[in-house]
Amino acid sequence: MHSFPRSAPLIIAGQSVLYIFRERTVAMLSALFVVLVLISAYLGWSATSTVNAIYADAAVYLKGIGQTVPANPVLDISPLSLLRNMSIYVSLIGALAAIVIGYQLIASDRKSGVVPILGTRPMTKLAYARGKIAALATLLAALMAVAAVISVSTFLLLPQFTLSAHGWLKLFGFFGLSYAYMAMFGLVALATAAQSRSESVGLLLPVTLWLTVTFILPSLTSNIHPTAAINPISALAPAPDTPFFHWTGYLVGPFSIAESFKYLSAGLLDFLPPGAVARSAISPLADLAIAFAAAAGLATLALCRMDMTRGDYNV
Amino acid sequence: MTDGLIEIQNLSQRFGKVQAVRGLTLSVNRGEVFGFLGHNGAGKTTTVHMLTTLAPPSGGTARIAGHDITKDPLSVRRVIGYVPENVRLYDTLTTRENLMFFARLSGISAPERRVNETLEFLDSSHLIDRRVGEFSKGMRQRVGLAQAILHRPEVLFLDEPTSGLDPMGIKMLRDLIKRLNNDFGMTIFMNTHLISEIAKTCTSIGVLSQGTLVYHDTMESAVRKYGDDTSLEELYLSITPVTGQGEAA
Repeated sequence: MHSFPRSAPLIIAGQSVLYIFRERTVAMLSALFVVLVLISAYLGWSATSTVNAIYADAAVYLKGIGQTVPANPVLDISPLSLLRNMSIYVSLIGALAAIVIGYQLIASDRKSGVVPILGTRPMTKLAYARGKIAALATLLAALMAVAAVISVSTFLLLPQFTLSAHGWLKLFGFFGLSYAYMAMFGLVALATAAQSRSESVGLLLPVTLWLTVTFILPSLTSNIHPTAAINPISALAPAPDTPFFHWTGYLVGPFSIAESFKYLSAGLLDFLPPGAVARSAISPLADLAIAFAAAAGLATLALCRMDMTRGDYNV
Repeated sequence: MTDGLIEIQNLSQRFGKVQAVRGLTLSVNRGEVFGFLGHNGAGKTTTVHMLTTLAPPSGGTARIAGHDITKDPLSVRRVIGYVPENVRLYDTLTTRENLMFFARLSGISAPERRVNETLEFLDSSHLIDRRVGEFSKGMRQRVGLAQAILHRPEVLFLDEPTSGLDPMGIKMLRDLIKRLNNDFGMTIFMNTHLISEIAKTCTSIGVLSQGTLVYHDTMESAVRKYGDDTSLEELYLSITPVTGQGEAA
C-alpha cells in the first residue's frame, strides 16, 4: 500500500523546474533579461564615468584660470538611479519572460499529454495548482537573484558609488517589487494556459494584456507615447492638465499597473522627478497589491478548474 | 457470489445536449481482463474518465475497490493506474526522470528501486536513461504502461492501448497485459474498438453503443455462443447501430 504524497506540490514544482530548465525559449528570454540587466549596470556606470571625466577636465581648466570649482554633479544624484533602466527592462523583458515561463509550466503538461495521468494520481487539483505556482515562484526568484547579484556587484566593485543601509534596503525593495510585478504576468499566463483550448490563444492572451498595460493604458491615462514608455524618465512625465486626462488618470489609472510599477520603482531607485504625483484613484502600492492578489486568485481558480481529461491543445 | 472490484450503478454523463453515457450498470470482478468494446464515439473514453475520477458523472455512481468515485476520489486514485490513448510523457526528460516523477507522486517510498523493477518487468531497462522524445510509439507505450503500474494498482485502465502500434507492438502489449494480470493479479479494464484484441486478451466483454451497454458476458460464454472472431464481429455489428458515431469521446 502507498500513502498519499504529502509533498505533491513540491514534487510537481521540482519536476516543472527541471523541465523548464531544458526549454530553449525560456532559456533564451531569461538570458536576454540577464544581459539587459548587465547593460543597465554598464550604462549607468558609463554615463556617470563620462560626467566624471568631463567634470575632472573642467575642474582642471577652472583651476587653471583661477575660478572656483563647483561640486561634482554626480555627487548630487543617488547611486541607485544608475539602475533606472532596470525598471523598463523588468516591465518589458522581465514580464515577457514571466509570461513565457508561466505558459510553459502548463503547456508542457498539456502538450506532453500527461494531464490525464496527473489527474489520476492521488493528489488534489489544489496541490497541482500550488506546485505550479511554486515552480513559477522559484524560476522567477532565480531570474531575479541573477539580476540582484549583478546589481549588487556593480555597487561593490565601483568604489565611487557607495550605498547607505537605507540605500541597500531600497535596492532590495526594488527587486522585491520587480519580482511581484513579473510574477503577476506569470500567474496570468498559468491561468490562460490552463483554460484555453488553443495553444496560441493561451500565449496571446497574457501577451495582449502585457501590451495593453505597458503601452495602451499609459497613453490613455497620462498621454505617454509608446516610445516614451520605454524610457524610464519620460515614462514618468506629467500628463496634460486637461479634464480628459484628469478623469482617465483617476478612473483607468488603477488598471494601469505598468505606471504604478514605474512610479514605485522610480521612488525606490531615487529617480522620481520632483513633484511627480500618482493620479490614480488608488495608490500605486495598493494598485499593485490588488493586481497581484487578483492574478494569484485567477491562477489558483483556473488551475483548480482545469479539465484534467484534456490532453493536448486543439490547435 | 461475485467479487465486484468495479461496481457501476446507473452511471451517466451528459455534455450539453449530448447524452454520452446512459445509465450504465456493470460489474467487473477482481482478476478479470475486461474488454470494453464500442464504435469510436460510443462513450468508452467518457466512461473511463468517470471511473478514473478525471470527470465527475452527471448521474449515478461507481465504486472501485470499495471507494466511491465521487465521494472519495483520492482513495480511488490510489488503487488505479491509467494509460490514456496516445500516451507521450515529457519528451525532453529521460525515462528515469519521467518515472521517478510519477513514482514520487504516487507516494512510493523507494521510487528508484520501484522504477528499476518495473522497467525490468517490462523488459525495458535499456530505455532508462534515454529521452522519451527519441522513442517509437511502441517504446512510449511501454513507458506509459510503466508509469501506470509503478504503484502496483488493483485496477489498470487502458484506453485503446493498441492504437497506432505495429503487429509486433500489439503482440508485445498483449503479452504484457496477460503478465500483469497473472503476476500481479491486476484487474484490467481495456477500451478498444478491435474485436480481435478482445478475443485474444480478455476474460469478459462489454459492448457499448451510443452510451448504452448492449451486451455483457464472459469471453468464454460469448465464444461458446457465437464462435470465433469473425462470428463475434457479426454479433458486434448486429447489436451496435453505426449511427451516432462521434457523439462522445
